[in-house]
Amino acid sequence: MAILEVRDLKASYSSSGPEILKGISFEVENDDFFAIIGPSGAGKSTLIRCINRLLEPSSGSIKLNGVDVLKLNNKELRHLRRHIGMIFQEFNLINRMSVMDNVLSGRLGYVGTLRSVLRIFSDKDIQNALMLLERVGLQDHVDKRADELSGGQRQRVGIARALMQEPTLLLLDEPTSALDPKISREVMELIKDIATELKVPVLCNIHDVQLAKETCNKIIGLQDGYKMFDGPTETLAQANLEEIYSMEVL
Amino acid sequence: MSQLHQMSGKSDATKREWSRFKYPQSLYKYGITLGVVLFIIYSLHYLNVDLSRLFGIFGRLGDLLANRYYPPDIEYIKDADYIGSIIETIQMAYLGALFGILISIFLGWFAAYNVSPSRRYLYPVARVVTMLFRSVHEMIWAILFVTILGFGMLPGVLALTMFSVGFAGKLFAEEIEAIHMGEVEAIRAMGGNHLQVFVYGVVPQVRVALTGIAIYTWDVAFRAATVVGFVGAGGMGWYLKRNVMQIETHRTAAILLSILILVIISEFISAWARNYVSKAK
Repeated sequence: MAILEVRDLKASYSSSGPEILKGISFEVENDDFFAIIGPSGAGKSTLIRCINRLLEPSSGSIKLNGVDVLKLNNKELRHLRRHIGMIFQEFNLINRMSVMDNVLSGRLGYVGTLRSVLRIFSDKDIQNALMLLERVGLQDHVDKRADELSGGQRQRVGIARALMQEPTLLLLDEPTSALDPKISREVMELIKDIATELKVPVLCNIHDVQLAKETCNKIIGLQDGYKMFDGPTETLAQANLEEIYSMEVL
Repeated sequence: MSQLHQMSGKSDATKREWSRFKYPQSLYKYGITLGVVLFIIYSLHYLNVDLSRLFGIFGRLGDLLANRYYPPDIEYIKDADYIGSIIETIQMAYLGALFGILISIFLGWFAAYNVSPSRRYLYPVARVVTMLFRSVHEMIWAILFVTILGFGMLPGVLALTMFSVGFAGKLFAEEIEAIHMGEVEAIRAMGGNHLQVFVYGVVPQVRVALTGIAIYTWDVAFRAATVVGFVGAGGMGWYLKRNVMQIETHRTAAILLSILILVIISEFISAWARNYVSKAK
């Protein structure tokens, strides 16, 4: 069963500007680790930001667990977003807060506004945060400030924060581009292990094709806003890659 | 023979044309420069500035200070009533700056385009309000409130609040507009509402800068507080006005001296505090 259905999605940054996505359709199944590959400027980040409406698509439809994402009002959208974990290229941690506060901030959508402003989190949340930090190997860095950590460690905090949301879908926006090749592999392995463990489907932007092939079971290839390839990883042939990367934009 | 010369080939390569400012831009640029220079010359000519008079001011200022204002009447500023007015001034500046800063935090948030809770309504309203408060001088606020509320500290505090809002609101908004949007995006992506985005995504990034601006606001509010009394809005300004009117030059000198000392002390304290804050994490 498809958990995420995207139909004929079009998007542009301004009403008069060029169209970034020119009608993309695909489906993510329950146990997918789904990769989006393509050259810079193909629309990978735009696509992933349309799923949780950080960017408003201009037309098309997105269905998550049967809910039409594009029809939600602000409040419903916030409720939906707390079930979608997101991991970013530049980590997007709150640098001046501790690792623990960063991980706890993953619960923001669930706790009341006043409690969150005063940073009062339930004991269950605190226990879960400590457990997740242990799972990603940061048990010794709980009270450090986020900006004291190395890149790989920061991304682990990002992973723990996304998992605090108890997500039904994980969106990964180039999670490894800011990391070196060895750490990149470790981080992707970690995400894959946890996603399998918690049975969370993953939609992942990635420009490292080799890494995508190693970790993902399905791949779509974008080029200049069009979908050029869609299928299981094994069926991605050299010819497909050459087609996807044939016309470099930007 | 340089290296690059070899690249261009042995033969005489065609001469390439390049200028920093292309035709229409170059016309505007030089036109504007010419206009500015001409206006300066015209203004100086119109004002008919007499250089010899200008150079003489220091001599005459020295004369004035030595003959009329010296010695300052120190006994006068040691008087209990006057000391009371100094304390009143400090209280007024404190309250005005405090209320102003509290209002400015929200106003600055609403007036920052990138994170404003409502770009269509709150943003323009907050912008106009900040502009309004800014465009009116603190003395005019003081006159306005004295007219409405009568003499005393209250109109002074309100005038200083307005002044502080105008001063800090715009600076806060600008500081907030310059933040890194990644954190904001992350909080939005996990379903945070506007207040949570502000508290988690914005405040940690601007805390130090806002504290610095707040201290600076106190600094200018204190200086403004010393003169709003001129129109009866409380504080030591009233004493200044009375003695100026009565040509009590020695007392005026003493009052000016006390303002000078207080401003210097406040300047030192705020410089120290800003320095302390900028080192804090």
